[in-house]
Order: sequence, then structure tokens, then C-alpha cells
Amino acid sequence: MPRFLHTADWQIGRQYSNFAPEDALALAEARISVIERIADLAASERVDAVLVAGDVFDAQTVSDRTVRRLFNAMAGYTGPWVLVSGNHDAALAESVWTRARRLGAIPDNAHLALTAEVLEFAEAGFAVLPAPLTQRHTQTDLTRWFDQAETSNGLVRIGLAHGSVQGVLAEDVDSPNPIAADRVATAQLDYLALGDWHGTKRINARTWYSGTPEQDRFKGNDPGNVLLVDIPKGVAEPHVEIRSTGQHPWIQMTERLAVLSDLDQLIVKLERQPERAVVALRLEGEISLLGKQQLEGALSAAEARFRSLRYDLSDLSLLATEDDIAALHADGYVGKVISELRDEQDGDDGEVAREAMAILASMLLEKQALGGDA
Amino acid sequence: MRLLRLKAEQLRQFRDPVEIGHLEPGINLFTGPNESGKSTLVRAIRAAFFERHKSSSVDDLQPWGDSAAAPIVELDFEWQGKPWKLVKSFLKKKRCDLSVDGEAYSGDEADDMLADLLGFELPKRGASRPEQWGIPGLLWIEQGAGQEIQVPVEYAGQHLKAALGGNLGEVTSSTGDELISQVAAERTKLLTATGKTTGDYAKAITEVDRLQEQFETLQDRVRQYREQVDRLGQLREEQDRAETDRLWETYRQQAKEAEVRLAEVMAWQKDQDRDQQALGECRTSIQTTLDLLNGFQNQQTDLSRRQEEKGKAEQEQADLEDRKPAHEKALAEAGLAHEAARKALKLAQQHQQREEWARELEGIEADLERDTVKLTRARKLHSALLENRQKQQSLGIDPEAVERLKDVTSELDRLAIQQDAVATRLQFDLTDDQSVTLDGEKLAGRSERLLIEPGEVAIKGVGTLRVLPGGEDVAEIARARQNLTDEQESLLSRLRVTSLAEAEGRLKRLQDLRQDIQRDDSVLKELAPEGLEALSDRLRLRQVRKDELAAQMQALPEQDDNSLSLSRAEAQLESAQHGLEAAEAAKQKLTGDLSLAEQALNRAKQEWERLNNELQAPDRKQREKQAEDQLIELRAKERSLNKRLSEREKQIEQAKPDVLEQDVERFNRSADAAEQQEDKRNRELIQIQTRLEAAGAEGLEEQVAELGSELEQAIRRKRELERRAKALDLLHTRLTEHRLELTRQLQAPLQRHLSHYLQLLFPEASLKVDENLIPEILVRQGHGGEERGKFEELSFGAREQMALISRLAYADLLLEADRPTLIILDDALVHSDAERLKAMKRVLYDAAQRHQILLFTCHPDNWRDLGVIARDMEGLKG
Repeated sequence: MPRFLHTADWQIGRQYSNFAPEDALALAEARISVIERIADLAASERVDAVLVAGDVFDAQTVSDRTVRRLFNAMAGYTGPWVLVSGNHDAALAESVWTRARRLGAIPDNAHLALTAEVLEFAEAGFAVLPAPLTQRHTQTDLTRWFDQAETSNGLVRIGLAHGSVQGVLAEDVDSPNPIAADRVATAQLDYLALGDWHGTKRINARTWYSGTPEQDRFKGNDPGNVLLVDIPKGVAEPHVEIRSTGQHPWIQMTERLAVLSDLDQLIVKLERQPERAVVALRLEGEISLLGKQQLEGALSAAEARFRSLRYDLSDLSLLATEDDIAALHADGYVGKVISELRDEQDGDDGEVAREAMAILASMLLEKQALGGDA
Repeated sequence: MRLLRLKAEQLRQFRDPVEIGHLEPGINLFTGPNESGKSTLVRAIRAAFFERHKSSSVDDLQPWGDSAAAPIVELDFEWQGKPWKLVKSFLKKKRCDLSVDGEAYSGDEADDMLADLLGFELPKRGASRPEQWGIPGLLWIEQGAGQEIQVPVEYAGQHLKAALGGNLGEVTSSTGDELISQVAAERTKLLTATGKTTGDYAKAITEVDRLQEQFETLQDRVRQYREQVDRLGQLREEQDRAETDRLWETYRQQAKEAEVRLAEVMAWQKDQDRDQQALGECRTSIQTTLDLLNGFQNQQTDLSRRQEEKGKAEQEQADLEDRKPAHEKALAEAGLAHEAARKALKLAQQHQQREEWARELEGIEADLERDTVKLTRARKLHSALLENRQKQQSLGIDPEAVERLKDVTSELDRLAIQQDAVATRLQFDLTDDQSVTLDGEKLAGRSERLLIEPGEVAIKGVGTLRVLPGGEDVAEIARARQNLTDEQESLLSRLRVTSLAEAEGRLKRLQDLRQDIQRDDSVLKELAPEGLEALSDRLRLRQVRKDELAAQMQALPEQDDNSLSLSRAEAQLESAQHGLEAAEAAKQKLTGDLSLAEQALNRAKQEWERLNNELQAPDRKQREKQAEDQLIELRAKERSLNKRLSEREKQIEQAKPDVLEQDVERFNRSADAAEQQEDKRNRELIQIQTRLEAAGAEGLEEQVAELGSELEQAIRRKRELERRAKALDLLHTRLTEHRLELTRQLQAPLQRHLSHYLQLLFPEASLKVDENLIPEILVRQGHGGEERGKFEELSFGAREQMALISRLAYADLLLEADRPTLIILDDALVHSDAERLKAMKRVLYDAAQRHQILLFTCHPDNWRDLGVIARDMEGLKG
């Protein structure tokens, strides 16, 4: 009764260009550390193997250091790791794999399944039928050979592939690297471990996408897990358990501000998000100059709390209310300029007008603060 | 505010109290010459207001040399319906008392109240300074400072602006200017004055560009890397295929087969060449044999021809031999004829010679005869000449001396006559001739003596009579005569004659002799031009020649009738010569021909003999037969060879050796190419492999991703800065614009007042003020349209006028803001022309409707038409 950890899409070496440097670094680092946690999990769950269904590396030419770090991170589990290549790390004539071999970075317990050949683990009682990608993209079903593949009697047949199951993932209808939806049946597989889809997804009782163990994009399709799979004896369906491994949830929020209390609600909502989250906030509606100051304070506090906070205020209009103008002591022609800018923020150069208004407001506030001290 | 009364005492000029009362609400005109106290009065007013009563720096208020004085000023004025009374004394008695509507203030409090009222500041210590004068500094114009406006306006700026601000309420922004400078400062950090990027913004742009470039370069390298990976895959595949096929081996085998076949064909070709050579040799032999047979045939024909030639030669030789005697005879005859002709010619020549000599002899004889006669005559003439020349030499008379002698003699004669005429005649007739002497000469008889010089007549017994001839002439003539007589004697002596006649006779003879000599000389020259000796020599030479000729002629034969002429003899000899030469030539030719004929005959005989011998040789028949047999044999061989050659030729042609050669080359080359390609592929494989390994180690894609992040970051920063720069720019523009607009609005009341006064001076003109309310530009309607002039560039007079108008406008403004206005003009408008002054007086009069004006002048005439009574300073002091 073999037991596996099924994982995929590690995307080691991925960079986060949209983030501030220190956030990007931490997020990249998180992709390595999740492997360490997987190894620990595999060890503690005493699995027979860890199956990695492609896209181990984000690119072929990641640095040597990254390659070494990955394999080092796998040290916590000394049982077999079976890895196939995906579209990001296809087994080309020269690839990250050939390089890793040259570097001597690959430990003995890591089995690189880079050709379509059966790997038998007789003692553990299973055989792996891998469908590694040897091109970046292919339009043929690489798992077809599973149907004819023979394995020793009594061994559990496990398929390991990277691609799009046809007809299931609507968005990926025309996607390359197709995989037939009924491969499990035609190839008499006990389990088909898939990669490519970053969320955890069950295709059928024997066919699963594990998803990426550490979320890497704002797509709420349940990423950040690995699958703990038990294959029972006989014809019973495998038992699949979803285990969360992710460290940084990625949260995308769009909020509308209309009245002052909306701002308070927003602040509460932000405070409720988990601390290590990667948050993208988009605000719409309108806010007064004073409210803007308050908002900025809240955002600044949230930035400190989250792993990363990015916000888009381009659809948030600045309102210069009479109160604002009075509070800012924007008397005389300065007040006139403010109202002029306020009226212009919906025009072609609205962004500039808004910025100008914000600058003016901050200068006035600063002055006021100084005046208050004096 | 209206001044009512002023009193000063112990103040500069005013040692005694001076009081001015009943001041008018409008214009008050004070006149007086220089140093009459006008400025002292002004100083008194200033001191009353500006100086702290406690100030010890106001020594100038004291009358000169009176340090014990306590200057004192008293002022009564009215403000807002309340009477104000000020008494202020300085230095020795420092005191200030102010009563406002009955309420009394004193000391510093009083000082401060005044400052507050009028709008100026008091010095903390010391004398008041212009920057503290505020409004009075602007409205109280000191002597000669009427054109200065900028500084006083600045000092009064606060008050003026307050006056304007009061009018406009709270429209103006309290923080605007500060904001503008802050915005400008922020903007400067990102943009230059001309709107170019600078500072962080510029840096951010550069950074983006730099990263972009790097990013693209890296991406490029990643692309190359991927291409090479694909290439590597392709090469591997090709390599596998090549290793399986091993094409080059197939090619090598094929090449070998083709080579074997080619070698076979090459052997055939060699046989062919050999047979070809044999055929050539065979054909040569046939030709040789044919030639031999032909030779035999030709020899027979030759012999008969030789026979014929031999006969002909014999005949020719015989013919020539026959002609020989005739030729010899002709030659002998010609020789004889030639000898005869030669002899005849010699004789003719001798005859000719003799004849010539005879003629010459004849000539010489005639010459001899003639020259002998000539010589005789010449010799005679020569001796005659010699004689005559001797005679001529002995005669030796000078014709000129003779001529002179002739003249002297005739002059003497003339003088003798003259003397005779003038001389003293001493006629006597003496009896006794013993007793009387004249100068020693005894006188006797009857005669006379002519005395030309004093003479003494001694008469014996009687004594002496001294006769002195009279007149000058006598002596002179006597002297001349003496001279001439001397000359005459000298001439005669020189000519060796005794008289003139003799001299003339001798001269005649000499002339005759000379003519004779001349004649003889010319005859002689005719006869013997080269002299007598030459003539005689010639004669001698002729004689010798004559003798010679006679002897020669004797040796030659004499001529007879048969003698030939020389020319004839010469012609005969020439013809004989020709005959002889022709005969000789004919003889010679015959001899030559004969020898040629003999040679030809010999040759013909030899030829004939050789050929004849050959034909008669014993083995000749056998050789002929042999040759014929050989020919048949050779012909057979030729045929067989030809057949073999053509057959083999076909065989070779069918085998196509050139194609075979090409096959060998082609297969070998294909093998080479396949091997090279394999090598090349292997090399490329290794190269790419190496390159990829190196590139892979760099972690290119990771670098791209990292750089991408950096670039993204830089772009974000650039955008932020760009937005900020634009925003600041916008803010700056807007704030500045609004501020300007506001300023214009604020200035509107001032402009109105300015315009009011200006119209009295220049219709339709306007005076613009800057934001500090200082006059800036005067706009007038000139002939050519609008004329703009900067204030500081206006003439002195115009500046003074504009400054005064501005001050009056400020005063109006201040009045509207409920501030006290008192205008003091000390000697104003002295630089204005009559026209402008007239207008300015209207301006002043108009202003005086609202403000009290104190006007001090030393030109009272200028201000008579101001509508007020002038106060004379002298009158005030009195």
C-alpha cells in the first residue's frame, strides 16, 4: 500500500518583478523554504516517494547557486524523489537538468525522469510512468505511451505528467502539452499525478493536480498545498489528503470608498488579513483631502504588517471639501487653485491634477503642523 | 488729518520762536529764498513726529553754536474730528506732551501714539532712520528727492498693502507666497527653469534607459541561448543519424569500384596507343618504299636528258672557238690606229706652243723699245728737277715778309710826306759855311732843314740857337717813322736784299721756278710711276725673257701645210681610243664565254657519265624487285592494324573513362564531405555544449528576471517622479497665475487713483505698478500708437512728476483706508517745464481737495496761480 506526496510547479528561481526588492527577495526565498517543509512532511508521513510533476525550475538558466540550493532543500527526506520536466524546465539538449548533473548537485535519491521509460520501485511496490517534456511545448499527448507500457506484475502504476487535461480546464482548451482526460482508464493507472495547474484540483478520483506548494500569483484557485496520496490494495480509489504548505497567501482586494465611514471599514478589513499575506489593494470612489491623509497613514501601517502591500489609487478621486479647504487654511487664491485642480482630476491629465492637489495638501498640512507647534 | 498751528523755538535758524497759525485744509504755500528757514520748518515737523523726545542724537536741531539750547516744537492738528496738541522739546529739556481731545499723554507713550497714528516706527535709540519713516517718508518729500519713489514705497509697503488689503477683505492667501516658493523649490529638484529634467528625475530616466538596455541585451542573450539549445538538439539528432548511416564508407566503396574499372580501361588505352604508334611507323615505311620505286623510274628519264644537254654544250663551245680569229684581227688594227692618232696629236701640240711663244716675243720687243725711250726721258727730267729744287732752296725768300716790306715801305713814304708837312723848316742861306752848325753838322749854303726834333744851331761866335719844333705830331710821326724804318731794315736784312724791288724780283723768280718743278714732277710721275729704279728693272727682266723665248723656239719644229690643227688631232685620238676599247672588250667577252661554255660542257659530261654508270650497275634489278615485295607486305600490315584500332576504340568509348574518373572523384568527395560534415558537426556540438555550459552557469534567465524586477522598479520610480514633476509644474503655474491675477485685482483701487491724476497730465495714459506697488511702466498714446516707457528710464522731470502722482494716489488710497495723510513738498517739481508744471498744479489743486499739502518753494512766481496766498518765510520770522 504505497504512499506518496504529490507536488508540482515549484518554479524555483522565480522573480517577482512587481514587488519592492526586499519583498521580491523574500518571496523567492519562500519558494525554497517550502521545499524544506515538503521534505519534512514526507519524512514525518513516511511516504514511499515524493512525486514532482514538472516545472521544478522556473527557467532553464537559473543560477548554479539556485540549482544547488534546491537540491539542498530536499535533504530532509532521504527516500526517493521522482521528478519529471515540465514546460519551464523541459529536458532539452542542454537544460537545467544537464547542468545540475554536471554540477553534481543531484543527490542519489532524486530520480530524474527525463525520458519516457518506466521506473520501477519494486521493493516499495510501485512503478512510475513518467511523461517528461523534452520540448518547451508539444501538441502531442506525451502520456499516450502509458497505454502500452508494461510494468511488473503486482506493482502499482503511477503516471507522472505535466500539461493540460483536455476538456476539463476550460481556460486551457487550446493549451499545449495536452493530456487525455481518460488516461487513467486507458493506461490502467492507479494514480495520475499532474502538474502545470497552480491550484489544487481534482480531475477524477485517480487524477489530480497538486498545485504549487507556495502561491505565486493573485489567483484564488486554492494554491499552496501538496497532496498526500495513499493507494489502497485492490480496486479501491486512492485516498488523497490536501496538506497546506504555503507561507504567503496572495490576496487581491477591490474596495469602494464613498463616505468617511467606508474608510474605517477598509482599515478594519485590512487589519483582518493574515500578517504574511501579499496584498494587492485597489480603491475606487472618492475621498476628501483629509481622508486621503488618514488613508495614507493606514496604508503605511498595513505596509509594515504585510509581507507586501501594493495599492492602486488611480480610480480614487480626491475631494476637496469646504471643510478641507478651511482645515488646510487654503484661503485666497490657494483655495481657488485647489478647487480648480479638484475639477480637473477627471480630465485627461487627471492623475497629474490629483497629484498636484495631494502635494498642495501635504504642504499645507505640514505648514499647519509647524504653525501649530509655534 | 489737518495741521492747524506750528510753533518752533530754539531750533536751528529759529532762535526766536516762530509760529505759523491758521493753516488751510488744502494747499499751504511757503515762499522764501534759500536759507530763509523753509527746510528748518520741515525739519521741525519731522522732529516733532519722528524723533523720540529722549533722543540725544538730534544735535542738528540746535541753533548753531548754542549747545545749551532746548529745541522745542509745538503742533496743533485735528484728526477724526478730535483736536490733537503736541509739545515736544529735545536735548537740554527732553519732554513730550500730547493731548488728544483733552486727554493728556506724555513721554514715550505720547511718542508711540504718534507713530501709530501716522504709520511709522520710532527708533529704539538714536536718530530716526529713513527705513522707519513709513507713510510720512513717502508723503513728505524732501528737497531734491521728489523723483525717488522705489525706496520710500518699500518702506511704506506694509501700510500701503494693508490699505489695499483692507479694501479687498480676506481674498488674498495668507500662505500663498510661501507655498509658491516651496513648490518652486520642489520643482527645481526635478525640473530646470526651461522644463528639462534634472536631479533625481533625470537620474531615474537615465537609470531606466540603462536598465532597459541591459535588460534587452540579456534577453537577447537568453534568446540566443535558447536557439543554441535547439541547435544542440538538432545536431545531436543529426549526429545520431550520421553515426547509424555511416554514409562516407559507402562512398569510399563506390569510389574504389569505379577506380578498378577505370584502371582496366586505362590498360586498353595503353594498347591502343601502342598500336597507333605501330600504324604510324608502318605508314612511314610504305611511303619510303614508294619513294624508292619512283626513284628507279626517274633515273632512266634523266639519262636521256643529260645526253641532250651534253650535245648542246659541245656545239656552243665550238661556235665560240670559231669566232676567236676575227676578234683578234680587229684588235690589232685598232691598236695601230690609236698609235698614229697619238703621234699626230703630239705634233699639233708642239706647233701650237711655238706659235704662242712667237706672239709673246713680238709683244716683249715692242715693250722694250717703248720703255727704253721712257727711261731716257725720265732720267733727263729727274736731273732737271734736282737742279731746280736746289735753285729754289737757295732763293729762299719769304713771300709774307716781302708783302710786309711792301706795306712798311709805303707807310714810310706816307709818313715822310706827313713829316715833311708838319716839320719845322729851317731854311737858311748862309754865307759862311764855317760858322754855323746844326747839331754839330755844318750848315752851309742855301738850303733848308726840316727839324722834327729839337736841334741846336751853333753859330760860332754867336752862340747857340735852340730850335724846338712845335706840336705833338712832329715827335709822334718821327717816332713812328723811326719804328717803321727799324722794321724795314730788319725785313731787308732777313730777306737778304737791299731794296724792295730786289725782293720783289726774287719773289718772281721763285714763283717761276716752283711752276717748273711742278710740271716736271708730274711728267716724271707719268713716265715712271713706281720710280726710275722699277722702270729700269722691268726693262732688264723683259730682256732676259726675250732671250729665253728665242732659245725655246729654236727647239721646236716649224709648221708646214700638212700640219693638223690641235682640235682635230684631239678628236682623231679620241675616236681611235674608242675603237681600241671596243675591240678589247669584244675580245675579253669572247674569252669569258668560251671558258663558261667549256665548264658547262664538262659538267654535262660528268652528269651523264655518273647516271650512265648507275644505270649500268649489276644489282639494280634485284633492288627494284625487293622494294616491290616489301610494299605489298607493308600494306597488309596497315590494314590489320587499322581494324584492331577501330575495334578497341569502340570498346573504350563504351566504357566512358571520363565518367568513370568523375565517379571516382565524386564518390571520394562525397565521402570527404560526409566526414568533414561529421567533424564539423562534432566541433559545433562541442562548441555549443561548452558555450551553453558557460552561459547556463551564469543563470541568464534568473538574471533577466532580476534585472526585470529592477527595471520595473526603476520605471515605477520614473513614473512617480514624472507625475510629481508634472504636478509640481502644474501647481507652480497655477499658483503663480492666480497670484498675478489677484495682485491685479488688489491693485485696482490704486490704479484708479493713479489714472485719475494721470489723465490731467497725459490723456489716455496709464501707469502700471509692480506687485510692490512701485511705478513700473508708463503707457502713453503717442503718434505711432502705444508707447511704453520704464519708470527708471524716464527723464528726471517726468520721473518727478510720475513719483508725485504716485504719492498722491497712495495718499488717496490711505485716505480711503482711514489713515491720516499730510503731504509736504519741499521745493517740488523744479525740473518740470511750464506746460507740465501747469498740469501738475491742476493735479495738486485736485489732491488738495482731499489732503492738506504744505508746499515750500524758493520760486514764488511759479506758484502764483495755485489759488492760495503765499506765506513769506521772512514775514514769519519777523
